Amino acid sequence: MVRETDLGERLRSLSAGAAIALRLDPQNYADNYLLALNATIRDVGADPNAHTIYVSVTNPASLVWTIAQALDISPDRISFVDAISHIMMEFRNPLPNATYLESPRMLENLMLRVEYLLRKHSERRNIVILDSVNSLAIHNPPALLSEFFHILINNLKARRVLTVLLATADETTTTIDQILSLVVDETIDVRVEPEEL
Amino acid sequence: MPESSAVSSPPASTIRARCRTGIEGLDNILEGGIPKGNTVLVAGSVGTGKTTLTLEFLIRGAEVGERSLFLSVTEASEKLLENMRSFEFFQPGLLASGQLTLIDVPVVYAKLGLTHEELGIDEIDALLQTISRLLVETRAQRVVIDSITSLGYRIKREERIRDFMLRLSQMLSQHGCTTLLVSEIGPLPGRYSLHGVEEVVVDGVVLLGNVRRQGDILRVLQVIKMRGTSHSRAQYVVEMTPIGLLLAPHLKGARAEDD
Repeated sequence: MVRETDLGERLRSLSAGAAIALRLDPQNYADNYLLALNATIRDVGADPNAHTIYVSVTNPASLVWTIAQALDISPDRISFVDAISHIMMEFRNPLPNATYLESPRMLENLMLRVEYLLRKHSERRNIVILDSVNSLAIHNPPALLSEFFHILINNLKARRVLTVLLATADETTTTIDQILSLVVDETIDVRVEPEEL
Repeated sequence: MPESSAVSSPPASTIRARCRTGIEGLDNILEGGIPKGNTVLVAGSVGTGKTTLTLEFLIRGAEVGERSLFLSVTEASEKLLENMRSFEFFQPGLLASGQLTLIDVPVVYAKLGLTHEELGIDEIDALLQTISRLLVETRAQRVVIDSITSLGYRIKREERIRDFMLRLSQMLSQHGCTTLLVSEIGPLPGRYSLHGVEEVVVDGVVLLGNVRRQGDILRVLQVIKMRGTSHSRAQYVVEMTPIGLLLAPHLKGARAEDD
């Protein structure tokens, strides 16, 4: 449906302050996820002044960092807000470029950790990636989640920060779709075609 | 008078000068900061961030040239210094220059010979005179007393506590100080101090607390009262970071839960 180079270019062409959702097809999820990471942290993050804030609710930051290293991303170009390692009891080797949240239910604290990193890297062109909407929906009721996204995304828009929300297509409930439609400028379906594999 | 001015903001003469706390979220809540000269109770139970908030208030003040004084009743100044170092913006030179002064109140007690478990009228007078002298010596514009609960703990009679609080508050106001008094409270609703007198005497009350969401604890802040400003009364979640306290709105979806 969308090629890696196309997606990277499309994201790079977005105006500052844009908020988009990448809806990953669950078929060949790993490939679609890698495609999304390549297009975001590698391609959009290629700008010498770019800095990525990766909010990790699905996989621990350590796993995403391993992938980022394979993409030659240096640690000063990416910071993590990890909201999953604590509840997975996977907190033995904290990363120096990560901040760890006790629970994905502490949504206000999640916002404030992003705020902290934005202030720490205020001279950079920041990109916020939230992985994923589905994982947050597992831990939080829809009313709370709607309010969270409304405040977070509007705040990031006002500060002209590019925001990318990852979601899984098959699992997206009507409620999540409604939330996304209210806060994002565009939803892009991400599916690696079999011939691309 | 033109019709538009009848419904506009108050005239400039009625707007009181502000003492910016330097905590951006709190200053926004207070329309720019605490009205200068106000005495404010910072109330909360254990571990809610009272001392951290007051330390940032003083450091931020000292940074912008306002002389700041911390009177510590409960914690030794060495320990407070350690807490201050956790702030990236803290410069030890502020202490060396006298811009920021930390005083251990138990040392003051010892010097005054206040060894009795209960302070009498003369001893209370001596304590207030000493505090007044410290205000003059340090030329303090910002003051923190941590905690007023511990300071008042040795004054057993309610009328004496009321008298002490009134005199302390008036004295701080006469010196032109903007003051934060830390109040340690239990989880009693509608109560902001141990004796119940403190919140009546002061100009403002900032309440810190913990709320639960499905077992997780969120640290929250709410301004209950602040004379001289039409402040927000909403509740905010607080995050302590190396760049200071950050505030975000407490999401309302959570209010119907178990807080």
